[in-house]
Amino acid sequence: MRSYVADLHVHTLLSPCAEVEMTPRNIIEQALEIGVDIVAITDHNAGDNIIAAERAAEGTGILVIPGMEVETREEVHFIALFESLAVYAEWQRFVDLHITELVNDEDAFGGQFVVDHEDNLVEVKEVMLLASLHCSLAEATAEVKRLGGVAIASHVDRPSYSVISQLGFVPADVTLAAVEVSRRCQDKGAQNRIREATGLPLVTASDAHTIGDFINGPKTVLHLEAASLSEVKLALSGSGGRHIGEFLYAPETTR
Amino acid sequence: MVRVRELPELLAAAAVATIPEEALEVTLSSGYASDLLSNVMGQAKAEGVWVTMQGHQNVVAVAVLAGLGAVVVAGGTKPDGDAVRKAGQEGLPLFTTELSAFETVGRLYRAGVVGA
Repeated sequence: MRSYVADLHVHTLLSPCAEVEMTPRNIIEQALEIGVDIVAITDHNAGDNIIAAERAAEGTGILVIPGMEVETREEVHFIALFESLAVYAEWQRFVDLHITELVNDEDAFGGQFVVDHEDNLVEVKEVMLLASLHCSLAEATAEVKRLGGVAIASHVDRPSYSVISQLGFVPADVTLAAVEVSRRCQDKGAQNRIREATGLPLVTASDAHTIGDFINGPKTVLHLEAASLSEVKLALSGSGGRHIGEFLYAPETTR
Repeated sequence: MVRVRELPELLAAAAVATIPEEALEVTLSSGYASDLLSNVMGQAKAEGVWVTMQGHQNVVAVAVLAGLGAVVVAGGTKPDGDAVRKAGQEGLPLFTTELSAFETVGRLYRAGVVGA
């Protein structure tokens, strides 16, 4: 068993609200620099930059988890994580069936860029990614579970796009492996209250939209036998000796 | 003042489940409008009417918790199956209307239902 530093919520420049510096290559380089072992790429309702991130991470020892930050009909955000690109591709088919037809306004929301592992622009994505899918939180999380993935409610301490703000509490028919608190929720008492109120394990992540967020944002230490999603799953449920360790905060944010 | 039984005509609304007779006679003491359920839990008053565009089953749970007199799901949103079932079980007057949330609140206000 060893400890892995994980950031399970990272946006790339594909998310309209993320800076263009958030290229997969740059994220992986910084991860190496600051000692992050597991990076989940979680763009809003899309995953076109996952391949580039996996290529950029080849030979580095960093595990890239294919993921997505999903927005459901209730305007709840959650992180969906998958074992492999092949499983992710199945999830993408589900998303394609439920995505809105709206076109992004780049001036209002920012650009949505797909790049390769060397930062070359491949495509500007036109469909509006900052919109809710036509499916409920229960339906979406059930599909994640069917695919053997992991669903984690995003930033449940935040006043918007959180399962708590939107629905008041976690509904019984929603299949979540954990809930995430944002960097704004570093108080242990507040974290314990959320853990008790939701009855779910707690993680934190950077939710990075800039390289500064990624470097300074919170990370979760996971105690695993190896770096893989199935091991992460075990750690979230606290089985087989795997478990969630401490939350790491950069000096700038804990001062 | 508005009683629950007057809502269908006032708001061109339909009940999604059978409402117990005594619940129909409740006089709505105040109104609240929000789609954020955690906000409603803290703000809505007992025997009030809540206007929302959310059709999730937690709407019913929050309404029962707060002791609301009625909930109107506006803007043509259809409450999901679980919400309809739960409203029936709880005897909660849950209505839908094609009217926008703005128009719904306006008609309630004009009829004498003021903010919580």
